[in-house]
Amino acid sequence: MLRRLKFIGALGVMLLMALLVSAEQRFPPPDFENGYSLPSTSTPAARQLWLQYGDTAVFLAALGTAVWLIYKKRSRRGVFWLSLFSLAYFGFYRKGCICPIGSPQNIVYGLFNPGYAVPLTVLIFCFAPIVVALFGGRAFCAGVCPQGALQDLVLIKPIVVPPWLEHALGVVPYIFLGAGLICAGTGTGFLICRYDPFVPFFRLSGGTFILTFGAAFLLMGMFVGRPYCRFLCPYGGLLRVASLASKWRVRVTPDTCTQCRLCEQSCPFGAMREPPSPETNPKWLRAERKRLGWLLALLPVLILAGAWGGSKFSPTAAQLNPTVALAERYARQQIHPVEYGLMTPEALSLQRAADNPAAILTQAADLRRRFALACALFGGWVGLVIGVKLAALSVRPSRTDFEPDRGACFACARCFTACPNERVRLGLAPAAQGAEPL
Amino acid sequence: MDAKPPEDSAVTRRQFLRNGARLLAMTGLGVAAGGLATRSTGAATVWQIDPAKCLRCGNCATKCVLEQSAVKCVHAYAVCGYCQLCTGFFAPEPNALTTAAENQLCPTGAIKRTYVEDPYYQYSIDEQLCIGCAKCVEGCNRFGNGSLFLQIRHDRCLNCNECAISRTCPGDAFRRVPVDHPYLLKTTSR
Amino acid sequence: MNNSLHRSLVLTAWIAGVFCLLVCAVIIRGHFTAATNDPWKSPRLLALKDQLAAEPKNKPLQTEIRRLDLEFRRNFRHRLALDKTAGWLLVGGALVLVLAAGKAASVSTKFQPPQPKTGAAELAAKLASRARWSLAGLGLVVAGAALMCSYHLTSALPADEADWQKLASKSGPEQAPAQAAPALSESQANWPRFRGWDGSGVSTNAGASAWDSTNGAPILWRSAIPAPGHNSPIVWGDRVFISGGTASRREVFSYSASSGALLWRRAIENVPGSPPKFPEIPDDTGYAASTMAADGQRAYAIFGNGDLAAVNFDGSVAWTKYLGPLKNSYGYATSLAVWGNNLLVQLDQGDSPTAGSKLISFQGASGRVLWERSRPVPASWATPIVIEAAGKTQIITLADPLVISYALQDGNELWRAHLLENEVVPSPIFVGGLLFVISPSSRLLALRPDGAGDVTTTRVAWTNDENVPDITSPVSNGDLVFTVSSGGVVTCVDAVSGKKIWEKDLGVSVEASPAILGGRLFILGQDGALMTFQAGREFRQIGQIQFSEKFLASPAFANGLVFLRGATNLYALGLAGANAPKQP
Repeated sequence: MLRRLKFIGALGVMLLMALLVSAEQRFPPPDFENGYSLPSTSTPAARQLWLQYGDTAVFLAALGTAVWLIYKKRSRRGVFWLSLFSLAYFGFYRKGCICPIGSPQNIVYGLFNPGYAVPLTVLIFCFAPIVVALFGGRAFCAGVCPQGALQDLVLIKPIVVPPWLEHALGVVPYIFLGAGLICAGTGTGFLICRYDPFVPFFRLSGGTFILTFGAAFLLMGMFVGRPYCRFLCPYGGLLRVASLASKWRVRVTPDTCTQCRLCEQSCPFGAMREPPSPETNPKWLRAERKRLGWLLALLPVLILAGAWGGSKFSPTAAQLNPTVALAERYARQQIHPVEYGLMTPEALSLQRAADNPAAILTQAADLRRRFALACALFGGWVGLVIGVKLAALSVRPSRTDFEPDRGACFACARCFTACPNERVRLGLAPAAQGAEPL
Repeated sequence: MDAKPPEDSAVTRRQFLRNGARLLAMTGLGVAAGGLATRSTGAATVWQIDPAKCLRCGNCATKCVLEQSAVKCVHAYAVCGYCQLCTGFFAPEPNALTTAAENQLCPTGAIKRTYVEDPYYQYSIDEQLCIGCAKCVEGCNRFGNGSLFLQIRHDRCLNCNECAISRTCPGDAFRRVPVDHPYLLKTTSR
Repeated sequence: MNNSLHRSLVLTAWIAGVFCLLVCAVIIRGHFTAATNDPWKSPRLLALKDQLAAEPKNKPLQTEIRRLDLEFRRNFRHRLALDKTAGWLLVGGALVLVLAAGKAASVSTKFQPPQPKTGAAELAAKLASRARWSLAGLGLVVAGAALMCSYHLTSALPADEADWQKLASKSGPEQAPAQAAPALSESQANWPRFRGWDGSGVSTNAGASAWDSTNGAPILWRSAIPAPGHNSPIVWGDRVFISGGTASRREVFSYSASSGALLWRRAIENVPGSPPKFPEIPDDTGYAASTMAADGQRAYAIFGNGDLAAVNFDGSVAWTKYLGPLKNSYGYATSLAVWGNNLLVQLDQGDSPTAGSKLISFQGASGRVLWERSRPVPASWATPIVIEAAGKTQIITLADPLVISYALQDGNELWRAHLLENEVVPSPIFVGGLLFVISPSSRLLALRPDGAGDVTTTRVAWTNDENVPDITSPVSNGDLVFTVSSGGVVTCVDAVSGKKIWEKDLGVSVEASPAILGGRLFILGQDGALMTFQAGREFRQIGQIQFSEKFLASPAFANGLVFLRGATNLYALGLAGANAPKQP
């Protein structure tokens, strides 16, 4: 009781003090008589700017080294060690958070949100691998990307993904890219970063969901080569398109191909393409051409249908945005009030909305309009991606030798040493062995 | 497409298309990069909490991608009243004004209370122990000067492209700040 | 040789795999125990702390808390260290696993010479066809997923953005929970707010006239009031509500109207956001100057610090809100108004028109803000009234210099008039189609409330500048308007022409507003003289009862009784038999 009284007394003193002081501060900072000096609040600096430029330099150097190793040295071993270095540096040392995979989101976010200036390092990280891909294919994926390196490392016994499934799943990265970019453009968030399965491993910490997601990809990656790169990575999708137009390409051997099919086995990513059989049935050709015509005609239909569907989907998609979600929750609260606990984030955010509903609703309305456009674009994009892929599946390839598909090839350099001719060229095998096909 | 083109012409046509596409892509990239570069900053940004918007919900302790959140409580000593009965340090209606566990608001005992002179006490944060739960921040802001507040500590923060806490922040208190001014410190109360 | 290498590689891989699993298990176990053993989560520790709050002197309990706290904190540090180590162990284990298994796989893989394919062209065609179909399937899956999502995640926001504004102003009558508002007749039978249901100070309850103040001092009961406050009593059914408060404690009191027993008292505390420190409020106003309001379900009270509370009739708190800090040099004193389901708070404050004055309409049941309008006026002390006029339900508010009428429905301004000056304390009344407002110490005005926009020059029926009060509100029986000044001068003015009929100096100071009941004008002097006069064209005093304490609060009439709040006592006057509620 005495203690309680003391407390009340202390509280009374506090209140009295409170009444005496100015409105600004409840309790005025005291004037110390014993020469006490105020400590200052420590402010540990963020990663130094020059270190960030250092990261960029390492990144560019690694890209250059990758190109050199793939084209000049034609060394699988070199590419492997480079990728291990990248895994250690960009993965475990830089914790996966300076990486080109998410950077297109920053670019789009910067384009549509004038308040955000895209840092120079992000620009470089985003564009450099694309430029490299335009000339030399996916050197980034082979040697610089820590996510790719991790998957490459865990690959134990690759199985062949049925090509029909591979082709269908191959459009998922583009859909993911579209979704990531509209979310970034509307300021909703960076989906691509959020669902990156490997970054939690680099950090050695993460949420239950994302750790499980990542572990699933790693387990799958033991038997399916680079599942994330092939079937989800949106940046990989960009590089894939870019390398379709690449000036130089990865060749199994610069010498003559003996059509031995050894390289086909060596590629764990299903990227090796065999030349079309020379015999052609004119009946098929006509049917193929006709089908291509139809599919090309279908393309605008698919785009329009996608855009229409996307715009219908926009009110739902807009709920991904935290502000719209808050407005929705606020509106729902007006109809069916839900009791949230005191001081819970839900209650606090609702309180914020209730304090100034007009502000939240105006923002939400603006975001809704943005989403209406973005979702129509996204729907159209999905239609375009599927339509183009359909048409591409109906085009007759024009190769004469076994060669890696320009887009699908990660430039990992595995096939080089599988080619007998190449082995001869590199001096790994005596010439007589490589001269004849098996 | 009415006649089958000869093989080599097909190759050159594809080559031509490819060259055109590459040129187009390079031009596009150049324009985009140029346009963005004029608006881009050399300095990168980092995340920070605006203490004026922070609602002390407790998300910072749990939503960070790091096991030990990069958000910690910091103390603006100039704002502090050095109260004997610090509502950021003591639990509501404390049993006694001592540093015994049952009287402390901080669940990890991260606030150190040291005697300065009668009746003033200094409170400082041990960041090794602080989990960023904002219990003390709430106590200090509700009943005191508000000299305790949450900040992202950049020696810990990984500077994720998208801060995981910011997504769930009920007060919309997270924003990107220039890397050379990475803190939003309080200089006046509330 | 190859065989033994393979075997040892496989064994290594197995060991590494088991090791990884073990490490995972340790991490996962650590996280599960963390749910109950982190110092800030442990239900055991929290329960002990609660127990200690109840028994602060329990020494063993304190020791136990300290012991547990230390243990849990140690566990926590230990777990963090373990997680870090385990993470790296896991990385190492996984590396060994992958390397060993990879090597084992490459060793065991037998070289199979590729076979030449036959019918490659047909195969390619078939494959392309299958790929097209699977692609189409994927498209369907995407479309189906989108459809499912939009089906399950329907938007709660109105499709038409125009309706959003309604949501922002939070009116939306269709959204209000179906809660029966009290019938008007019920409100009229009671005294639900300052100066009766319509704020006019006229009781339509004929039952009270059974009591005649000439019959001596008919004090039915007298109850002590435990806390100071200048607010007037309100009555609903058998309940009389008053509030009281000081800087440290604010309370609502409920008395039985028939017996005077204090049924319950409820402290209004822990109002979210309400600071422990209040603006200084002069004792002349106090922390509980605002009269409460009731709607048959709840009684509402607002205090000088800005705490607003709804208390159920059973004494439980329905909701509380902090509306402060209120900038008011004398202290906030405007009373609450209720109408239907709406609780209206006129929150005028500050010294300038931009100081943040506002009018807020709350939903009584939930405390939800239905709408809020900022007001371009400084602090005022007058209480708003709700009137039905010109086909609209209007809220009439007074403040220097504006009379503003708002639509009850959505808070939109209907009309305004620049007519007032000085510190506006008297409240408006609406009787017989005219609005009577007082510009303190300046003039009494009659307004027609049927205008729109600025009606300063167009809707004033008459003005009268004789003996204009500065605190008390007017009262009218429809034919005559009575005012009483602080100095005790009663003035009778013709309601139609605005001409003075008579005046009389009572020689007492008056702060309570006059009231009319059954043709009698009630005036309550500060010194405790309750005087009754004939509410007619000639001055005639009917009776007088003298109390021995100070009276500032205005009388309330209900159940055939008169309720008075003195400085320390609450009184019910009336004949014992006449306290049955009567419908008008």
